[in-house]
Amino acid sequence: MTGDITGTVVRLKLSLLKNGLRQSGGRRAAYVASAVVVLLFGALQLLGLIALRGHAHIDAVVVLLTAVLALGWAVMPLFFPGGDETLDPTRLVMLPLRPRPLVRALLAASLVGIGPLFTLLLLIGSTVAVAHGGAAYAVGVVAVVLALLVCVALARAVAAANIRLLTSRRGRDLAVLSGLVVAIGAQLVNFGAQRLGSSGLAQLAPVGDVVRWLPPASAIGAVRSVSEGSYGIAAAQLALAAGALVVLIAVWAGHLTRLMTSPDGSTLQADTTPGRRERTSGRMARLLPAGRTGTVMERSLRYVWRDPKTKAAWVTSLAIGLIVPVFNALQGTGSVYFACFAAGMLGIQMYNQFGQDTSAFWMVATTISSAHDAYVELRGRALALLVITLPYATLVTVLTTAMLDDWPRLPEVLGLSFALLGAMLATGAWTSARFPYSIPQEGYKNVAPGQTGLAWISIFGGMVSAALLSSPVIAVTIWVNVVEDGDSWSWVLLPLGAAYGAAITWAGLRLAAPRTAARLPEILTAVSKG
Amino acid sequence: MTSAAVRVQGLWKRFGQQVAVAGIDLELPAGKFIGLVGPNGAGKTTTLSMVTGLLRPDQGTVEVVGHDVWHDPVAVKARIGVLPEGLRLFERLSGRELLAYSGRLRGLPGAEVDKRATQLLDVLDLAGAQHKLVVDYSTGMRKKIGLAAALLHNPEVLFLDEPFEGVDPVSAQIIRGVLERYTASGATVVFSSHVMELVESLCDWVAVLAAGRIRARGTLAEVRGDAPSLQQAFLQLVGAGGRDAGTDLDWLGGGAR
Repeated sequence: MTGDITGTVVRLKLSLLKNGLRQSGGRRAAYVASAVVVLLFGALQLLGLIALRGHAHIDAVVVLLTAVLALGWAVMPLFFPGGDETLDPTRLVMLPLRPRPLVRALLAASLVGIGPLFTLLLLIGSTVAVAHGGAAYAVGVVAVVLALLVCVALARAVAAANIRLLTSRRGRDLAVLSGLVVAIGAQLVNFGAQRLGSSGLAQLAPVGDVVRWLPPASAIGAVRSVSEGSYGIAAAQLALAAGALVVLIAVWAGHLTRLMTSPDGSTLQADTTPGRRERTSGRMARLLPAGRTGTVMERSLRYVWRDPKTKAAWVTSLAIGLIVPVFNALQGTGSVYFACFAAGMLGIQMYNQFGQDTSAFWMVATTISSAHDAYVELRGRALALLVITLPYATLVTVLTTAMLDDWPRLPEVLGLSFALLGAMLATGAWTSARFPYSIPQEGYKNVAPGQTGLAWISIFGGMVSAALLSSPVIAVTIWVNVVEDGDSWSWVLLPLGAAYGAAITWAGLRLAAPRTAARLPEILTAVSKG
Repeated sequence: MTSAAVRVQGLWKRFGQQVAVAGIDLELPAGKFIGLVGPNGAGKTTTLSMVTGLLRPDQGTVEVVGHDVWHDPVAVKARIGVLPEGLRLFERLSGRELLAYSGRLRGLPGAEVDKRATQLLDVLDLAGAQHKLVVDYSTGMRKKIGLAAALLHNPEVLFLDEPFEGVDPVSAQIIRGVLERYTASGATVVFSSHVMELVESLCDWVAVLAAGRIRARGTLAEVRGDAPSLQQAFLQLVGAGGRDAGTDLDWLGGGAR
């Protein structure tokens, strides 16, 4: 009976993979391409690790690698809850299955796929890199299997423990935001790797001494211990890994049983939070202008905070707009002109304004009956953006200038930032009307299938046009810097850039408004996909 | 002035190969409770979207209270209220914030919006959930807050797409009460549904839509004709009568095999 279930679930996983590929040619190509890239990467790592065999710090490298791999497996289900449908045990809840055979079957199914294959390649490479002698290789086989199973069980246990969270609205909101952790984490890893590159692998040794006792890295650690003849230590390390596997499976089975015997949390209503904000228009509204302008601004600003997609986009823009100039300044490779990055990144938020509304855009469409209505709507959105962007871009510019101690350039960089921001707002408004596209609300995609081309035209075409539009101010900046005596005139760029930015924003909104008003049904159709 | 609330002429809409609406001519009388009925995929939503200006027709004209929807949007948009089906609301606003937003977008003074919103929330039994985000609302609550937003500016004609779909009986009764009070004041309600009992008990006037065409129209009695119920008349009109599913499933029932 057990063998039956395992076979069925593994076949289910295979058919899910196959059916996923069958959906479209593009998807198949993407899958095959990513598989090739992952396997190539895995193979290269394998060769690299084998080549590093005998290197002084290789033992620290392999245990750390295994630990990072395990960490990856642990966080994967949090970021991609929909990635593996067999991961969601609630889908199997109606079937008359006992937890124990189900656990075995699901564990076997998780070993199918590119991810496990990639992990296997790396683990084999790590083992070969540190194994010396027949006994070490024999232990190595056990170690690889054990480490792989721990990784997979870890992913399953984390997914099962979080399924409540992942299926609730709040959980999905969090999942969207957690993508940011990856984006910003990648920057930090990049920063760390550069430090490591400059000071060598020797820094890893102390960390490696600790990590080789942590499962599943301890299994790989055992291979090295055997190579050195420390059989007692090796046995202890293997036992640790095996113990971890047993504990993880027990935890997972426990969650699974509870999930399958208690009601689904996602259908329970979130509790009401009375008295949160009693008034319709809070403090914010009183500071905003009256009429449509203030109403639109208020809604836009609320969405920056409350809508996970919008929030994620904003936090990304704010973080990258700060990180690029400041980190470059920190590393001594910076220039004050990098501060314009903040304005550029934040200006992107003006793009695809109506796509950010999703199909709720109908509420806007039913209240726009003239080009003037559309103008006020777009202007309100641009103003809401400026409320955050203007102080932030100024702050980043001043901060970068202070770090580089290049105060004479502050006015021209600020002027340039404002001109660029104006150009981004203008092109953003126009492309919002001309090239709207849907932003799916679930998952990580920011473009609905079939609209990728539209999104590229919108964003990249817009950015190039924005750069062209701000070229007069850029030209003046260059001129001021090139001509003799120009530096004494560089302050002029601040009012000039600000005035130019304001004028071009106004012109962009004026051009975009009649297009918006004339294309309301087309925009609604475009933003209602997905 | 004309006595028709809505006048549709030669309305067509194709999506690729598929014809969703195949030439509709229709006059909906003002001051009535009008039901637009038809099976799934008949073109009800497409028709209502085109009538309310949310979807551009391939061909044809639409007039609402004497104004062309596509040439005179200023006059039309202020006079209609819409509750579409399958489109989102601004769900990250609370119920009250959504009404405030919607009313102010329509240019009503803030104090008036707040007064009307309070009354609507009370009548629709949403006062307890007014500070909850709409994203956490149930289906029935969403329909009710959508109805409140559609009524807020006191439109002359109200278009509701499947207002009772997925709504519990208590909420349905509340929605019914509000709509009946609204039509009693002389306003027009046009709503789509495929629940015949509901249409029969609510509507004065019915149009039957199937495969993108109007199959019948008129007062309830006219459309029902000799049939014992609207349900029977409807099944005959759309050509689904006399189908019996009982013969092939002889194994069904009587305990597990």
